[in-house]
Amino acid sequence: MRLQRALLPAQERAEQLTQWLHKPHGRLGLITSIDGSQLITLVLDTETNTANCWETPLEGNRYQSLTPVTPQCHWFERNLWDLFGLVPDGHPRLKHNLLHESYSPDLFPLSKTVQHDYPPAEKTYRFLEVTGDGVYEIPVGPIHAGIIEPAHFRFSCLGEIIFNLEIRLGYVHRGVEKRLCEVPWKNQRFVAEAAASDTSSANALAHAVAIESILDLAATPRANFLRSISLEIERVAMHISDLGGLAGDIGFLGVSSSMARLRGNALRLAELLTGSRLQRGFICPGGVTYDSSEHLSQLRESTLLLQKDLKPVLEFFLSNQVARDRMERIGVVSPRLAKDFGLVGVTGRGSEQSYDARGHFSHGVYPEVRPIFIVKNDGDVLARANVRIAELQNSLNLIVELVDLTPEGALMTPMPDKLSGDQIGVGIVESHRGELIHLVFTDQHGAVVRYAIKDPSTNNWTGLAIAARSNLVSDFPLCNKSFALSYSGHDL
Amino acid sequence: MITELIHWLFFLLSVLLAPIVILGTIRKTKARLQARRGAPILQAAFDLIRLAQKGETVSSTASWIFRAASTIGLCNVLLISWLVPWLSFAPWAPPADLFLVVYLFAMSRIFTLLAALDTGSAFGAFGASREATLSLLVEPAALLGLVALGATSRTSDLREIFSFTNTHLQMNPAIWLLVGTAIILSSLVELSRMPIDDPTTHLELTMVHEAMILEASGRNLAIIEFTHALRMSVLFGLSVQCFMRAAPAVWKLPEIIQAMITIIGLLTIAMAVGVFESLAVKLQWRRIPEFIAYAITMSLLAALIAVAGGIV
Repeated sequence: MRLQRALLPAQERAEQLTQWLHKPHGRLGLITSIDGSQLITLVLDTETNTANCWETPLEGNRYQSLTPVTPQCHWFERNLWDLFGLVPDGHPRLKHNLLHESYSPDLFPLSKTVQHDYPPAEKTYRFLEVTGDGVYEIPVGPIHAGIIEPAHFRFSCLGEIIFNLEIRLGYVHRGVEKRLCEVPWKNQRFVAEAAASDTSSANALAHAVAIESILDLAATPRANFLRSISLEIERVAMHISDLGGLAGDIGFLGVSSSMARLRGNALRLAELLTGSRLQRGFICPGGVTYDSSEHLSQLRESTLLLQKDLKPVLEFFLSNQVARDRMERIGVVSPRLAKDFGLVGVTGRGSEQSYDARGHFSHGVYPEVRPIFIVKNDGDVLARANVRIAELQNSLNLIVELVDLTPEGALMTPMPDKLSGDQIGVGIVESHRGELIHLVFTDQHGAVVRYAIKDPSTNNWTGLAIAARSNLVSDFPLCNKSFALSYSGHDL
Repeated sequence: MITELIHWLFFLLSVLLAPIVILGTIRKTKARLQARRGAPILQAAFDLIRLAQKGETVSSTASWIFRAASTIGLCNVLLISWLVPWLSFAPWAPPADLFLVVYLFAMSRIFTLLAALDTGSAFGAFGASREATLSLLVEPAALLGLVALGATSRTSDLREIFSFTNTHLQMNPAIWLLVGTAIILSSLVELSRMPIDDPTTHLELTMVHEAMILEASGRNLAIIEFTHALRMSVLFGLSVQCFMRAAPAVWKLPEIIQAMITIIGLLTIAMAVGVFESLAVKLQWRRIPEFIAYAITMSLLAALIAVAGGIV
């Protein structure tokens, strides 16, 4: 899918975006900038399956914030401030998101224009203070007891009940997007797939699709099938791991240790297909790098075996009354809020949002091959667990089906040495967490000037903060696990 | 004289070994049920030695209470283990009033709570608040059961109640079974084990006992861990004593066989706890009173039997 830029003046942008999001099929993809002198708004239409890129030229470094009207702009506008020094006027709670106190206040890593008029000279971060009788705060993190990535959670509680949760990320900002513009484009895939390492297949695929759309080339049919199999294997492995995590958090040891073992089996599928358990270096622009022809029949058998092994464990998990009781009506996100905040992936589909990028945007064999989409409407931990279980089973079926359908043929389409000039490439992929977007801009010489990544977690972190409200403190870890968000995917 | 010496020897050995072996057995059972090989039975001892050799970090806001609490707790539990007839063989000890014992337990809890609050960490504070709530709920269960036994045998001295010469309770299996069950259920709460608290979790926000001792380290932590395990042995031991007295035949057996039954009983309970913890799912915080209600019901029934027995 090749993108066209449409010029949209600042006054019209707010109106157009509001209208777009009011349409039942309108979605906000991402908001960013190329070099700080314009705003880029990527909007998606899931009826016509198209994406539009609006460019709004800016004078100076201020623009009218859309957050008060469209709450899902919240984190995008904070990132714009951090990376480009663009200040949204009227943003209700403007805070730093990626760059912390230790960074210099006049450092705007992606801005190419000189900034003079930046507000607060210090990068202080203020948590929302809840005051009143008996309200107390629990600070958790950024260093946690488990081997997870850093984030700070500030709970304002009344007894055992969470009143407000504020999540602060940005502790692992690595400058991935900047780095992507510095390396030669043929090496970009190694950086892109490491953006979030548990999503390496999806990130590599989004990168490949974006580059192919710049070049207006397509991967070979065989490569498309192998790419989809790879994506589904990643989904299977991560869903197993997340379900095991849910079981572990409620002390259901039998299920969590079985899941840990079965995840290993899923990773073995990945090794058969790509030669790497974490699917590194497999998908690349033009096709795939590893020829797994001789392993495909073994892959099919192992998938069927995994399906058989999973069945009793999942039944045991769901048939336990106490386990259901722990998950029911916990961490509820209402469909209304899920739509307003643009929640994606399992979280969105647990709250009545039927959006799945595999049904709309071209990547691998999708959307020509349509997987079965599962939508639940309770919006609680159990709904998300049920969506995961159903998707897990569908993905296993899909892997077998795709292996059977994989055509013979070349693995790679030959690629030119240079990218086309003045183009925008976009790759929209349904990773195991949800919609993942890579947006690439080239200048007139074909050099990449801006590489923006929107991880699904960017949408869903807000969902977690909302879901935690009025729940018990001791249920938060379970709620958190049911969202299964990525820290590094957010802190690019 | 010789028997007294042997009793002391056995008692000291039990105090040292029982906590380690019981903890090891629970962990081993859990591991085997998850198809893992698991750590050796004596791993808890190795852990304690390792902890004791480690340096210690104490929060700069902590007062003397923080370090003293663990020692007070240990002395307390050692005293309890001497007074309470949790082994069928016991050296000489002064009369142990059941109210004294119940509130000795409460005293060691108070110091654990104070130590948790002392560091000013949010985790310690809410762990303490949870522990206080739980102990408030569970106290009637343990107390009522013991009082029922005391009322039937017309004494409040635990030694007297549990002695094999006390014939008031010899032909009364129901009350023993009920009190034994009440003690084991309330000890799961008291010891923060599943389904109340998950001892294997790393999630601070869900913890009760572990949240209180998060700030402890090194030798301090070793003392706390040992105290906790000893407390578990005493409580499990006490329920084993109840269960074995439910069989009238046991009363006439020679002491050495009673001792063996005690050891087998302790290991069985440890394994049963291990099996239960592998299958159980941790209860939601709001559901815990329902679980405690089972323990209270057992004690209430025992009390009813005691009252009925008094009338007859």
